[in-house]
Amino acid sequence: MKKHRRMTLGRVMGALRYVPLVLWVAFWGAALGWILFASFSTTREIFSNNILGSGLHFENYIDSWKNNNVSHYFINSICITGASCALIILISAPASYILAKKTFLGRNLVLNSFVVGMSIPQVMLIIPVYCWFVRANLVGHLITLVILYTTLNIPYTVFFLTSFFATVPSSLAESALIDGCTEGKAMWKIMMPMASPGIITVTIFNFMNIWNEYFIALIFANGNDKIRTLSMGLQNMITSMTYTGDWAGLFASIMIIFTPTFILYLFLSEKIVAGITGGGVKG
Amino acid sequence: MKASVRICEAQKRHNTEQFGAMGLKSPIVFTDGNGGVKVKHRERLFMAGYLGPAVLCFLIIFAYPLIRTILMSFFVIPGISSPVSEWKFAGLDNYIGMFRNGVFLASLNNIWRIWLIGGALTLAIALFYAVILASGVKGKKFWRSAIYLPNTVNAVALATMWLQYVFQNKFGLLKTLFTSLGWTSLAKINWTSPKYLFWGMLLSYVFGSVGYFMLIFLAGIERIPSDLYESARIDGAGAWVQFTRITFPLIRDVFRTALTLWTIGAVNFFTWAKMFSTRISTITVTPVYFLYDKVFGGSGTASAIDAGGGAAVGVMIAVIVLIVHVAINRLLKEEVYEY
Repeated sequence: MKKHRRMTLGRVMGALRYVPLVLWVAFWGAALGWILFASFSTTREIFSNNILGSGLHFENYIDSWKNNNVSHYFINSICITGASCALIILISAPASYILAKKTFLGRNLVLNSFVVGMSIPQVMLIIPVYCWFVRANLVGHLITLVILYTTLNIPYTVFFLTSFFATVPSSLAESALIDGCTEGKAMWKIMMPMASPGIITVTIFNFMNIWNEYFIALIFANGNDKIRTLSMGLQNMITSMTYTGDWAGLFASIMIIFTPTFILYLFLSEKIVAGITGGGVKG
Repeated sequence: MKASVRICEAQKRHNTEQFGAMGLKSPIVFTDGNGGVKVKHRERLFMAGYLGPAVLCFLIIFAYPLIRTILMSFFVIPGISSPVSEWKFAGLDNYIGMFRNGVFLASLNNIWRIWLIGGALTLAIALFYAVILASGVKGKKFWRSAIYLPNTVNAVALATMWLQYVFQNKFGLLKTLFTSLGWTSLAKINWTSPKYLFWGMLLSYVFGSVGYFMLIFLAGIERIPSDLYESARIDGAGAWVQFTRITFPLIRDVFRTALTLWTIGAVNFFTWAKMFSTRISTITVTPVYFLYDKVFGGSGTASAIDAGGGAAVGVMIAVIVLIVHVAINRLLKEEVYEY
């Protein structure tokens, strides 16, 4: 009898665990879902609590895309993020390989500097860097953002990949060396493919960070539509739409920005999760 | 992979042709007197070539600007790109001025509350969800992805969602929810009014950060071997005892990491402050916002740019991070449990 009661109590507790999970998902589902519906309604319907009252209004999307240089923002974000992610790996992977596989004087110094670099607040660096770019007349060029995003993400990437390379067995590369492969070739042709899960994970992580970056874009790429990234473009659109009272367009532009990363997340959520727990937890 | 082996194979053939005559397998083992030195030299060159670019980037973007910012904080600098010859030494004036500035003091007050209240809420909620997810719920991967989802959304879009929908006082989510529940006093709260703006900002930041810390805690909990829980259950320990006696002691180090990460995030608090008040205001200002406004002229005029003062704020932010970091490491001393 007592055992029976305990069993039901356990089952009730087991079911209760789902309540907070459902609440959390329900909250975000309601908020994002409502914005999705509102983005297809008219501003008047939004204010009279009657969303989707007159069917789907795709023109919210078309108008906010056309009236703002959304295509431009997308191209800018894609170019900047793509170039930075590629450069980060090109610079970080060889360095991580050396740090993981070689012992030399100053190895710990280099590794520790990268770890310290990860926690230096960006505001400590940004003022002199801004001076250089002003003097080099580079503020307002896309290349500025590529340079900054690449260099600022190197410490984390090196740190992440060093621990990853350390787990990749070097026997295959060593046998290639004995067979006369140069060490550079062994690294790019043997070690890199073996480390590709780590490289993909950290690249997805970098991609998400750079794609959504705000502070540096605000300082270096907010002058005109030619250089605005999606974050800056969205902010610009939102400011003008709250001014003109175009709430339907405002929610449509949120969805325009939200959808690509959401689709990416549907496919890559496992990898993204691995990117966070892999480097964040040293324990 | 196959292609790479083939290339190395070709390389091997080439080497055999070259060195085969001498009966040697590869150039690496080629040693005749000082030949070993040559190989060593080549390896050193290889290492420098591979490690160099990353180290150079680090020195240019991290080490040098760091030192220069510290230097700048002791000078009065007329313009953002003024050469060093135009700098005027000012001693601690920038720092003294900073602590006499009401907006900066307000920013310290805000950041302190964000760190403490926001941190307690975020870490508690994140730990709560991590424990639930680790307890063997069905569809764990789905729930985990769903809870982390807000973290992948662009902060501008997310902040706009809160400001223009959740907190909206005509058709907003909270208004609708509280009205339908009959909690009229809560429904009446105008979250974007000066009285509640800070709390609205903090609430939305906490809601947006939980997913990240949940993942970190979850990874820590999942490393704890399950037989510990099994034997505890056999001994009759309930969920609470299991949490306080097994889970929490064993994720102390993860907790410390999470606290450090929260601190770094909180001290750099900017995007949400900027989104919640486009013009600088004492309600939402944070040190980074203060610096941004001072140096990059957010709402000020070009003549008001104060690079030296901004640098001093930057140094202060770094010092705060350092102090909190040391304090966390002192207070939550590393205790290694073997498991």
